[in-house]
Formats: sequence, C-alpha cells, structure tokens
Amino acid sequence: MTLGLLMSRNLNKLLNYSLLKISLIPIMLWIVSSLVFILLRVAPGDPVDAILGSGADEVSRELLRNKLGLNESLINQYFSYINNILRLDFGQSLSTQEPVLNIILKSFPASLELGFFSILSAMIIGFPLGFIGLKNRGKKTDYIVRIFGISTYAIPPFWGAMLTQLLFSVYFNISPIGGRFPIFQQKPQITGFLVLDSILSNNVIALKDSLYHLALPSITLGFLLSGVFSRSLRVNLDKTLQSDYVNAAICRGISRKKVFLNHALPNALLPIATISGLTIASLAGGALLFEVTFSWPGIALRLHEAISQRDYTLVQGIVIFTSMLIVSLNLFVDILISFLDPRIEY
Amino acid sequence: MNKKVLLLIFTFLISFLQNSCAPIRISKKITVASSGKIESIDPARANTLKAIQLISSLGDTLYELNSNGELIPELASGMPIISKDKLKIIINLRKNVLFHDGTSFNSNAIKFTFDRFKKIGIMNYILGNKIKSIETPSEYSVIINLNKPSSSLNGLLTSVYLTPISPTYYKDYSDKFLNEKFIGTGKYVLTSFSNEVQLIEPNLNYWGEKPLNKGINFVGYSNSSSLFGALKSKQIDVLLSNSIDDSQRYSLKNLSKNKKLKEGNSPFTELSFISLNTSSYPLRNFNLRLALAMSLNRKLISEKVSYGLRKPSRSIIPPIFKKDYQEMWPKYDYLKARKLLQKENYCNGNILKIPLTYRSNVPSDKLIALTWQEEIKKFLKDCIDIELNGVESTTVYKNLSLGIYTAVILDWTGAYSDPEAYLNPLLSCNEINDGICKKGESVYSGSFWGSNKVESLFLESEKISGNKRLDKLVEIEKIAANSIPYIPIWISSQKAWSQNKISKPIFNGSGIISLSDLRFIDE
Repeated sequence: MTLGLLMSRNLNKLLNYSLLKISLIPIMLWIVSSLVFILLRVAPGDPVDAILGSGADEVSRELLRNKLGLNESLINQYFSYINNILRLDFGQSLSTQEPVLNIILKSFPASLELGFFSILSAMIIGFPLGFIGLKNRGKKTDYIVRIFGISTYAIPPFWGAMLTQLLFSVYFNISPIGGRFPIFQQKPQITGFLVLDSILSNNVIALKDSLYHLALPSITLGFLLSGVFSRSLRVNLDKTLQSDYVNAAICRGISRKKVFLNHALPNALLPIATISGLTIASLAGGALLFEVTFSWPGIALRLHEAISQRDYTLVQGIVIFTSMLIVSLNLFVDILISFLDPRIEY
Repeated sequence: MNKKVLLLIFTFLISFLQNSCAPIRISKKITVASSGKIESIDPARANTLKAIQLISSLGDTLYELNSNGELIPELASGMPIISKDKLKIIINLRKNVLFHDGTSFNSNAIKFTFDRFKKIGIMNYILGNKIKSIETPSEYSVIINLNKPSSSLNGLLTSVYLTPISPTYYKDYSDKFLNEKFIGTGKYVLTSFSNEVQLIEPNLNYWGEKPLNKGINFVGYSNSSSLFGALKSKQIDVLLSNSIDDSQRYSLKNLSKNKKLKEGNSPFTELSFISLNTSSYPLRNFNLRLALAMSLNRKLISEKVSYGLRKPSRSIIPPIFKKDYQEMWPKYDYLKARKLLQKENYCNGNILKIPLTYRSNVPSDKLIALTWQEEIKKFLKDCIDIELNGVESTTVYKNLSLGIYTAVILDWTGAYSDPEAYLNPLLSCNEINDGICKKGESVYSGSFWGSNKVESLFLESEKISGNKRLDKLVEIEKIAANSIPYIPIWISSQKAWSQNKISKPIFNGSGIISLSDLRFIDE
C-alpha cells in the first residue's frame, strides 16, 4: 500500500469523523439549551423579583411579568426560544432590553484576551519548570517543581486572585485593583481586544495601559494553570524519552539534541496540545471567579450578574454561546491532533 | 549573600514598577467608585442606588430634601400650592432652564416625564394610583391632579425617578428605555457611558451654582474587597457603597478616626427587621411573638455583627422622621420572654421550634441569625430552638407572599423620605379578615398582619399635615408595636469615604451625595 493511498484513506476517515462530530453539534446544543431553559425556570424567583425587590405589590409585578413575556405558557416560551436560537437570535436582555448578542460580543473579547494571555503565561512559567524538573530527575529541584505543580493546581483560583490583588494592588500598589483600562483615558475601539487595538492604532500609551491592567490577572491565572503544563510536559517527555524509538535513534548515532528536538519533544507535546485546547476553550467562556475578583468585564462576570438578576435570556444566550465555542474548539483540537499525529485513526 | 541580592533586586523592581507602570493621571476629575455596574441611566428603568446617584447629578428634580428633611425648590420656582380639597397641587416652574440638548425646560417636560414614568417606569408602583393627571395651564406652571388627598407628596416631588428629561431628545423613547444616555437639566453632562465606567463633566449652561470640581469618573468594581483595596491603595478618590462588608466598614471607620480618610454619613434610613408570619402556627400567638421580640439582644447583634456601626432600633420609623425619637418595641428581657413562653406551656420539656429564614447572599443576615440563635441557646435553650434556613434573596422575595416563612430577616429603605414610606409597605392591608391580611402590602412583607384601626389612621393621616399627621403615623406604629408583626433589629446609614485631598462627602435628606460639592482641597 502506497503512502499516498494511506494518507487519502486517513483523510477520508478524518472527514467522516469531522462530519459526524459536526452533525452532533446541533443535538448537543439543543440538549444544552433545553437544560438551561428548564433549570432557569425551575429555580425559584424570577426577573421580576430581582428587579423590583420585595417592595412592589402584586399588580406591579404582574404588569412587569406581562411586559417581559413571562406570563406566557412555558411551552410557548420554549418554542419561541428554540425558534429564535435557530435563527441565531438570542433575544433581548430582560433587565436592559439590549440584544443579548450585543452584550456577548461586547464582553467576549475581554474574556478571550484574558484567556489567551493566561495560557501564554502558563506556558512561559510551566514549560521551563517541566524541563528543569526532568533534567534534575530525582533530585531536590525535581521535587520542588513537582510540589509547585501540584500546589498551583490545588490553590482555589478565587483565593489566589484575592491574595495577589491584596499583595500587588493594595500593599505594593504596583497593579490596578481591577478593570481593563484606565478610566480617565479613551480606549481604542476596533476589535474589542484592547492589546490588539492599541497595536493597530499605533497607540503606545494605550498598549502600555492595557498590558498594565492585563498583567496581574493573566499572570496570576497563568501561574495557577502552569502546574498542569509543567506536570504534563514532565510526565510525557519522560515517557517519550524512555520509548524504544528514541533509544533506537540514539543507537543510530543521531545527536541527543536532534533526537530531543525532532523526535521526543513533538511527541511529548501532543497530549499538551489537547490540554491547551481544552483550557483555552474553558477560559474563552470566562474564568468566572477571576473576572469577579478583578472586576474584569468579560463574559463570565456578565453571566454571574445575569444569574443574580434572573435575566433568563442573557443567561441562556451566554451558556449557548459558550457551549458552541467549547464544542467548536474541541472539534478543532481533534482535527489538529489527527493532522499532527498520523497514528490516530477514527 | 545571594538572598540579599535577590531582595535588593525585588525591592528595586517594586519601586521601579510603582513609579513607572501606573498610568499617569492626566485629569483633575474625581474618581468615585461603588459596587456593581449601571445597566441603565434611564430614570424609568434605573433601580440601583448607584444609578440614582448618577441621575441625580445629571438632572434636577422639582424639589430636593435637605439634611433636615425640608423641601427645597430646585426646578420649581417656589413651594407647591395645595388646593383646599387637597386634590390639586400647583407648581410654578423655574424659567430660563435648558436641558443638555438645548431644549427649554417647561411644563410640557414635566408632563412628558411623569406620563412616561407612569407608562413604562419599572418602579412606577411608587406612584400607586395617587396621580390622576398632569395639566399644563401655562408654559411654566403645572397642576398635578390627585385621585385622593395624599400627604406623602414630598417623596414624590423629590423622587429621582421623576427627574425631568428632555421631551425632544426622548421623543422616540416615550414608550421604551434609553439606557446609555441621559439628557436632563443637571449640573453635569454625561460624556461617556459604559456599564462599568461613566464620565461626567460640568454643565457649562447650568442655571444654578456650578460644581466645585472639574468632573467625576464613576467606576464600578464587582466586589467589596476590590473597593476596599482601591480606596486603601489610593486608586480611587471616593468610595460610595452601601454593600461593603461590615469588617471593611469598621476598618475604614478606624482610618477616618485616625484622619487617614474622611467619612460621610447619610441619615439612618435602612431598616433591618424580622418579619413574623402572624397568619399561621405558631406565631399566630401574640405571646410567642412578644417572647421572640424580648429574646432579641439588639445591642449584642450590633456589636458582634456590625462592630457597633449599625444602630440598634426598636422602631420601624427612622429617627430622622420623628421629633421625639420613641422606641416602641419591647426591650430585650429574656427573663420576661421565658415567663411568656412558660405561660404558653413551653419550656417544660416543650421546646418552641422557630424556622428562621435569612438571605444567604446577604452576609450580615446570616450573622444576625447565628448571633440570635446563640443568644437563645445561652439563655432560653429549654424554651426555643431557632432553626436556620439560608435562601437566596430573589427566592425569598418570590415566596414572601406565599406565607411559607415563619420568620424571615429582611431590610427596607423607604422609596421616598417620609415615615409613610416605611409604615405603608409594612403595615397597610386592603382586605382584613379576623386580624389577618388577605390582600395588601403586609402580605408582600410576609407578616400577613392587618388592623382596621391602622387602615383608618392611614386614611386620616392623608387628610392632615405637619405634626398632626406625624402623631397619627406614630399612633400607627404604636399599634404595630403592640402586635409585633415585625421585630426591628437595627437601622443603618449609607456611608462614603474620601481621601484626605478631597472634601468630605455630604449626603442630602434623600441619602444622595452632592457630587458637585466634592473638590480637591488644594484647589
């Protein structure tokens, strides 16, 4: 069997696999959206209670319920909700009457930017530590790196966030307490990604300001995630370096550096690509407690507020959007891995 | 040696970052921070303290209440003239006032604002069915026709929800909200709005005194710790928040005592109380309600939970509204409580079980509940058993009128500055049957308590004014205190803190800070 035939067969298999996955997406989204709809309705309290508090009488409550369309039968509400989703219309926020999609598109870049820089920080911190640990296998440094990895993973994110905020924003006063940009300066508005927008608009001050605000939350989150990267790199690289094909390559006289860079490292990085993909997907949906602690105006903070306000349409919109994002990124990671690793069959 | 070098590098890095990283402050605006974000600055939609604070800087009301609770004309040119039958209020308006868009302020603007709020206002229930119509007999006078005489007009005439807006600018928004813009007549104009940050600058065409500062930056943080940290690290100039944790309030109070900050206080207006369900077992029994009221050690709760910052209260009317501040609810006396319980055959192996619900998302509620539970365990363990039940606030509000809570901790701030704004929502009832309210405000407060005498006193109080009216309202409170549908716990004030370089924040009688009076001390 020729290599070309093998590749085309693999490509066909991958295509079939991708199509199968894509065809499952609508079903998955339907299940998620229905679950969100049901859970929100089952939860006690409704937007009217959240908006009016305990002071309003029943007549005012009923009027507002009618205005918000909450007095329609659940079946009607459900069908109109599903019907709207099919047309990618997430409706209007119950509390502000602003289109949900607008709210999502306004807050999503903030979450994605934080997620991207956090992963970057995690890799910058985690990978060297993984290498150092492996290089000093069984020594004191290796144990320190291992303990570091487990500890960062075990630290509750909200606690880590509060601690760094207290240390760097309050005591040392070298970092802003929260927010994404100085309040007294005009922020560049092109794509919604402030770092990118500052570069696109050649605004060095804005770039400095946006990085200044991004630094503490992203480095803290990156620090907490770095343990996963250092541990998985350490374990995978160790396993790869002990494999037969690496030994065979060394026996054939290929230099250790070449074996490491061309054979061991790419193979060890494959599981890490999966982990990175999944982490990016979950961070794009917002690091909830981080965004709340750092008053970071991302999608997770918006979700947090929407839940407390019982803003059904906004919660539904954000959850479905995040689900779509995670499912798409998962699919992308699957395809990417299959390209990177021809051994994978579907 | 290595450690010393590292420490030196670290110290250098910190000092370098402190001096170089922080953005240079280029404006002389004052940064005011509070919790949460502003969803809307439409007076018909706004329902948060923060939004109300911002609207009151961007717009003027017809009247304002000063810190003594007296009515001061703002957009009105004089005091309201009330007809003999008390069904008409004539208000003459100030001339030569312009909205921020250049539209002239006149009677049409008042009619437009009132009608719009009545039609789409989220909080329009505060009008009840008081206002029948608005007439505009001339360009600068309006007549408010009432359905029935009302003595609580001060509250309506000073209500921020009824801040006049430009009819020209809001022409297309007469039946929908305009969340991100505000065109009023106020001392400031809105220059930038996002949910998290709002910037306002002095209105150069303002009819009255100009602000003492060059503008305000409003910023919202999502949690109490960030607000506290931002003030402590001087990243903000003024902190305005009612939702900041008590331990942080206490710390800020100490900082202001040591002259490191300035603290401003509003009058005491926020009442915390326990609502007792008088319609069902076991609290249908008056003696049991009285015993519970006597078992509540308010002083201890205030000290343990709020570090003494909230004022223990045995009244449901804030002190600002009463001349002789009388406290009518029974004092803490656990011995008398025991006797009452024994009289009802409790304590002798028979323990009264009281499920106490608290709002799980309000930290002080849980602490109040725990402190009371512990106090009862200490002195009345053989008589009462308090079972705690934390429920999220939205759920509590939803279920209050269903009567499922035997006792529940709540709070209340009057929608306008008047004792009636406290008594009516807690005590009034439209349909009473055998002392139990079937339909009315007390159902929505969870007590289900009703009294025909109270209803007739409410009616009488509508027809009179001044001290005579106040006496009637105090009489209403006395009747409630003798029936105990609620147990008042404490009354609190709003607080604001400013850095020493900024003047002290001052609240008006409606609990709103006059932002235009904030200024840099060296200016």
